[in-house]
Amino acid sequence: MNFEVYNRELIVQNIKIIGVASSSLVLVGDTESIQLASTFDTPAESLIIGPFVPLQSDVT
Amino acid sequence: MLARTSCVDAINIDIVSFASILQLGDSCIINGFSKALAVQRETEQFYGNEGDLFSYPVYSEPIPFEPVNEDLSFSNHHLNPVIKVHNIDIIAISSSSLLHVGNSKDVSMEVRVKHIRQLLPVPREEDQEQGQ
Repeated sequence: MNFEVYNRELIVQNIKIIGVASSSLVLVGDTESIQLASTFDTPAESLIIGPFVPLQSDVT
Repeated sequence: MLARTSCVDAINIDIVSFASILQLGDSCIINGFSKALAVQRETEQFYGNEGDLFSYPVYSEPIPFEPVNEDLSFSNHHLNPVIKVHNIDIIAISSSSLLHVGNSKDVSMEVRVKHIRQLLPVPREEDQEQGQ
């Protein structure tokens, strides 16, 4: 594949962001490679209904 | 090849927290990594030592990436070698996140998050009748 890019004028007046979170990225510039990965777990498996039991304690 | 200059007039950030970075200038390699265990309980009852991350597979399962095997001929021409931004306004950067002004080479970011919600048992109708 031949990929040819012509970068002409790039002017941005205003960038307004509320939040950048969880290993996210805001880049003003050039880069060769970006690799983003995410795992996310939320109910149903994570929903516990019943008497309160503490989670397994952190031993590290 | 990466020869553009980034020019930002003003940056306004309120919060940079939890291993986050504000990078001004070029960089080569960036590796960001974040693990979070978010526990919400109906009753406000928390101990300080809870949360063994190794007992949840979400923190250790591999994330497969397909290698790029495509034959690629890439060329770019910087007719105007400036990226101009007048104003950046961000409220918060959090959890190994990054605001980068400048060029980079290899950026790799990873996050693993698990939410747990603990609710109190729902009172059954029989129990309520017995109580009355």
